[in-house]
Amino acid sequence: MTSHPNRGPARADVLQSLTGLLLVLFIWGHMFFESSILLGKEAMHWVSKMFEGEHLFGKPYPLLVSVVAAVIFVLIAVHAILALRKFPGSYRQYQQFNAHMGALRHADTTLWYVQVITGFAMFFLASAHLFVVFLQPDNIGPYASSDRIWSGNFWIIYAPLLVSVHLHAGVGAYRLAMKWLPIPAASSRQVRRKLKLVMWGIVVFFLCLGSASLATYMVIGRDHAPYAGERYVPGKSQAPTGEH
Amino acid sequence: MNRIPLRPAARTLQIQVLRHNPHDPASEPHLQTFEVEEADTMTLFIALSEIRERQDPSLQFDFVCRAGICGSCGIIINGRPGLACRTLTKDLPDRITLAPLPAFELIGDLSVNTGKWMRGMSERLETWVHSRNLENLDIDTVEQAMEPELAEQLYELERCIECGCCVAACGTAQMRQDFVGAVGLNQITRFQLDPRDERTDAEFYELVGDESGVFGCMTLLGCEDMCPKELPLATQIAFLRRRMVCSG
Amino acid sequence: MQIIYTDVLVIGGGLAGQRAAIGAKRRGHDVIVLSLVPAKRSHSAAAQGGMQASLGNCFGASGDNEDIHFADTVRGSDWGADQEVVRMFTHTAPKAIRELAAWGVPWNRVARGDREITVDGKKHIISEPDAAHGLITSRNFGGTQKWRACYVSDGTGHAMLYTMSNQAIAANIPVHERMEALALIHSDGRCHGAIVRNLATGELLAYVARATCMATGGFGRIYRVSTNAIINEGMGAAIALETGVATLGNMEAIQFHPTGIFPAGILVTEGCRGDGGLLLDGRQHRFMPDYEPEKKELASRDVVSRRMEEHIAAGHGAHSRFGEHLWLDIRLLGADHINNKLREVKEICQYFLGIDPVSELIPVRPAQHYSMGGVRTDHRGESPQLRGLFAAGEAACWDMHGFNRLGGNSVAETVVAGMIVGDAMADFCDSQAGKLILSTALVDEFGQKQQRLLAGIANGNGSESAFELTRLMQETMTANVGIFRHRDRLEQAVSTLQELQQRARNIGLRSAAPGANPELVTAYRLQRMLKLAQCVAYGALQRTESRGAHYRADFPRRDDLNWMRRTLATWPDDEAGLPTLDYEALDIMRMELPPGWRGYGARDYIEHPQTSARQQQIDGILGDIPDADRHARQQALMPFRHLLPEHLRNNNERQGEEP
Ligand SMILES: Cc1cc2nc3c(=O)[nH]c(=O)nc-3n(C[C@H](O)[C@H](O)[C@H](O)COP(=O)(O)OP(=O)(O)OC[C@H]3O[C@@H](n4cnc5c(N)ncnc54)[C@H](O)[C@@H]3O)c2cc1C
Ligand code: HEM
Repeated sequence: MTSHPNRGPARADVLQSLTGLLLVLFIWGHMFFESSILLGKEAMHWVSKMFEGEHLFGKPYPLLVSVVAAVIFVLIAVHAILALRKFPGSYRQYQQFNAHMGALRHADTTLWYVQVITGFAMFFLASAHLFVVFLQPDNIGPYASSDRIWSGNFWIIYAPLLVSVHLHAGVGAYRLAMKWLPIPAASSRQVRRKLKLVMWGIVVFFLCLGSASLATYMVIGRDHAPYAGERYVPGKSQAPTGEH
Repeated sequence: MNRIPLRPAARTLQIQVLRHNPHDPASEPHLQTFEVEEADTMTLFIALSEIRERQDPSLQFDFVCRAGICGSCGIIINGRPGLACRTLTKDLPDRITLAPLPAFELIGDLSVNTGKWMRGMSERLETWVHSRNLENLDIDTVEQAMEPELAEQLYELERCIECGCCVAACGTAQMRQDFVGAVGLNQITRFQLDPRDERTDAEFYELVGDESGVFGCMTLLGCEDMCPKELPLATQIAFLRRRMVCSG
Repeated sequence: MQIIYTDVLVIGGGLAGQRAAIGAKRRGHDVIVLSLVPAKRSHSAAAQGGMQASLGNCFGASGDNEDIHFADTVRGSDWGADQEVVRMFTHTAPKAIRELAAWGVPWNRVARGDREITVDGKKHIISEPDAAHGLITSRNFGGTQKWRACYVSDGTGHAMLYTMSNQAIAANIPVHERMEALALIHSDGRCHGAIVRNLATGELLAYVARATCMATGGFGRIYRVSTNAIINEGMGAAIALETGVATLGNMEAIQFHPTGIFPAGILVTEGCRGDGGLLLDGRQHRFMPDYEPEKKELASRDVVSRRMEEHIAAGHGAHSRFGEHLWLDIRLLGADHINNKLREVKEICQYFLGIDPVSELIPVRPAQHYSMGGVRTDHRGESPQLRGLFAAGEAACWDMHGFNRLGGNSVAETVVAGMIVGDAMADFCDSQAGKLILSTALVDEFGQKQQRLLAGIANGNGSESAFELTRLMQETMTANVGIFRHRDRLEQAVSTLQELQQRARNIGLRSAAPGANPELVTAYRLQRMLKLAQCVAYGALQRTESRGAHYRADFPRRDDLNWMRRTLATWPDDEAGLPTLDYEALDIMRMELPPGWRGYGARDYIEHPQTSARQQQIDGILGDIPDADRHARQQALMPFRHLLPEHLRNNNERQGEEP
């Protein structure tokens, strides 16, 4: 053959899935680290210092956190731009899809729409979050984070972000499996039913985990409000631990 | 003992049809409701024929084999695509809404031009065996052998009846007029699997390696769930996607 | 009126039409195919069971060849077939199947080693040889000595039609869909194309062609209970009849298939019985061996259908609220076999009966299935009366089926006839006779006539309903021109049809919708269908014997003495109430296989004196060449190869047969 096929579409599809996959893996990992607050402030402090490389280098480098935030941001940007191609391109298309989805009452079709909405929401919510992390990488810790969430009113961003990201990531992971995995035709329907169950399990699990963590941060933040700005120092018993 | 089952009183079905005759300048799309006495083993084929014969002779719809084999009678039944000829009214509620398949050119009422669409798809994807051999075929000698399992696999993919339900069930196809749909992608996998077809993966890539082909699919899986022949469309599209990514 | 010119016009996009189109196109002629529906939706797609061709690959087919296929087909036809044509057919069928195999049909293949089969209600283990592994396999069908029906699961017709259509698309043959031929344009015994109605817009067009091929399929819908698609209304045969010149052959020869599901009439394939399924009566007793000890469920269709109706009439049917029926039992074949080889059957049972044939019995009763009759042609597929008009497939009476067609011989005929007629049309176009000479005035005249007819119906203001009259015609045919025929009933049918014909002149439409107007379509088709129905009923009334599927209770014997004749119907006067019947003799002295007992069904028939004369002649000819091979012996009795296009004349190679 003389003409070279345009590899663009293949690459774009792979890249979209790959960035999606990395983001999913990241966010699931992120959840475990974030929820370390449930094990106590000490644990969360340890984790946040780990990300600054303190356990490795003996001294914190908050810049590391900025770098991770930047990488994630780039992943999201690439992913979003690629995904944007799939968005309804015009109001007419949007209407057509909406009417189709309404009539069809088909779970996977509706879930895609959920991805579009949550993706769109994350465009703002995740960016805001990442922006803060990027600019104030040292400002992460049991008190710093709690203060931001409560006194800084960031829970207004985090609550919807939590819901968005987990719906989006869960559905995205399921879609990745259906999109790429070699599932034998004979068992395709059963496998899919199982994948769907696992997906919902994961989504619910992370939503519970995330909500519990967020609630904990909020409680700590509320109690710590009078001292907002003060940092957590491990080992040192601090005034407002809620035992007034 | 006499085993005549007790039957509930016959229902009166309210069949709502989305009507429009593009050849009549005065016609506007509108819903029209017909009342039909339900009968035993009544299918939508029987109900619609009865409406045409007794109530409105201008009602347009397409049936050919009336046995679920030819793929003519795909319509939207209460929001979802399906074959009208083998849809039993007893499986439907008292109110039934029927509409033509979207994404195809409307001929009138429930009749759409799936034939034209499918022919276009076939021409574009070249859905036939490509072989240099066919020019001077020797048909006097014993045929080429083929593994029995392979022949069965090919038939499994060839059971598609081009009814258009997968296209009507596809969110992507609603938004992109040029999307080849599961019907097209499945046929490519059928020829890709067929050793008689000499085309290379690179050549198949030329046909479906873009946004109107396999990379346009968003894996919404309406096709798989609404295929009247229960073809393994999700598996086939995933296979084609991997294959196309690896080719070239 | 728009006029479209082409070399070859093929009316019908089923297997026959598309194969003929490909043949003519390959010879360099422009071809247009017309079809009522998208080509892939033609009724050929519904053929489930198989295509007969004597490949002789699998266990039950070993030793098969053209000679045995020929004998089966002639016996099946009850000696009504044209034996030269049967020879042409059986010789070309293996080539047709091999061509389709190369084009992409995924024929089921022989798998080496042991496998279990069901014969006569019992399981047996058979072994397939290594040498045949991967070659095309075949299944058993009624009325055949060998397993000869090659198949693709039970979607044979579907797979064939898709491959054929795809090849036609590859050859760039345009198919004008939703187009209905309303009349043939003709003058002085020459056909020039057709006047056509666009079914989507209602517009009339003229297609002018050098050669026109009728490949419009069967006309089962003149009956109430039929396995046929609802578009099988015989419009092709009808418009040929309306020329008043072309003849229709053997219209009374109508086949009833034993296993239409009850009451919908949807077919479950003969493959069910071929693969080992049984027929049971109301007491779940297997009754066929009582009537047909040799072939049992696998006697030819006419015989099995008759026995079934006989058994029901004797009070042994099963009762349901729709009436009486019998049972088809395929449970013994096992889930595996049903799920793989009889999938469409399973789907049909699920969707239309709500039962699972793996564990439940299927209610069946014979239903109209196939029309052996049609546009009478010569061996090349051309109408002897109307030059330039060809016919192929079920629409034709090429006459390889006589009075009963064997299962699997029809899709085989469509492809074989398509191959032969495609070439014949190309030859015709290349010849002096095929020159296009006609005036546009003639085209206009035919166009205007149709225009007037349609306007007449649309503005008729009559009081009759086209739908109602259609139903009455169908009921009359099913009740009076069915499996058992009798003078009284037939006379009643003829007079009812005449009365309906009168009433059909007084149709009033309720709808004047522009565009398609389905009511108008029903109305104009009805008038033509009534003519076809009359050819069937009147032909059946006149034929005072029983032959193949035509069974006269008042003349139960086959009568070779008086009826070695093919019925030819014409309708020269549009106003007439009856067709004109003529008869064409079948020459026993030229037959390779003189009439005899079929090996099943009634043994009792009235012999023709020439039969024994011919048999003696044959014995003499063969006695003179004791060492000749089977081809030479055949050639000595009834040469046929010269009738075929040159490229189809070679011997067929077979695995395991000496060349
Ligand atoms: C349910 C069923 C199962 C069968 N199973 C088998 C089997 O297993 N084996 C076997 O050998 N045979 C079988 N047969 C018989 C066989 O399928 C048919 O006889 C054969 O397919 C007919 O093919 P055809 O090309 O002649 O016509 P069709 O396939 O019927 O095609 C007719 C074409 O003509 C067109 N047409 C008709 N009228 C007009 C008009 N006025 N203007 C324009 N176009 C027109 C139609 O649109 C269509 O495209 C079966 C038949 C039925 C009903
Ligand atoms: C601003 C942010 C984002 C936007 C606008 C966005 C948008 C989208 C859209 C529209 C899709 C569907 C695309 C398709 O159907 O082909 C999608 C898929 C996906 N998204 Fe996102 N997304 C964003 C962020 C994220 C994040 C943070 C994650 C991970 C947690 C993620 C994971 C996924 C995955 C795994 C898929 C499936 C990938 C695929 O189909 O190839 N996305 N995204």
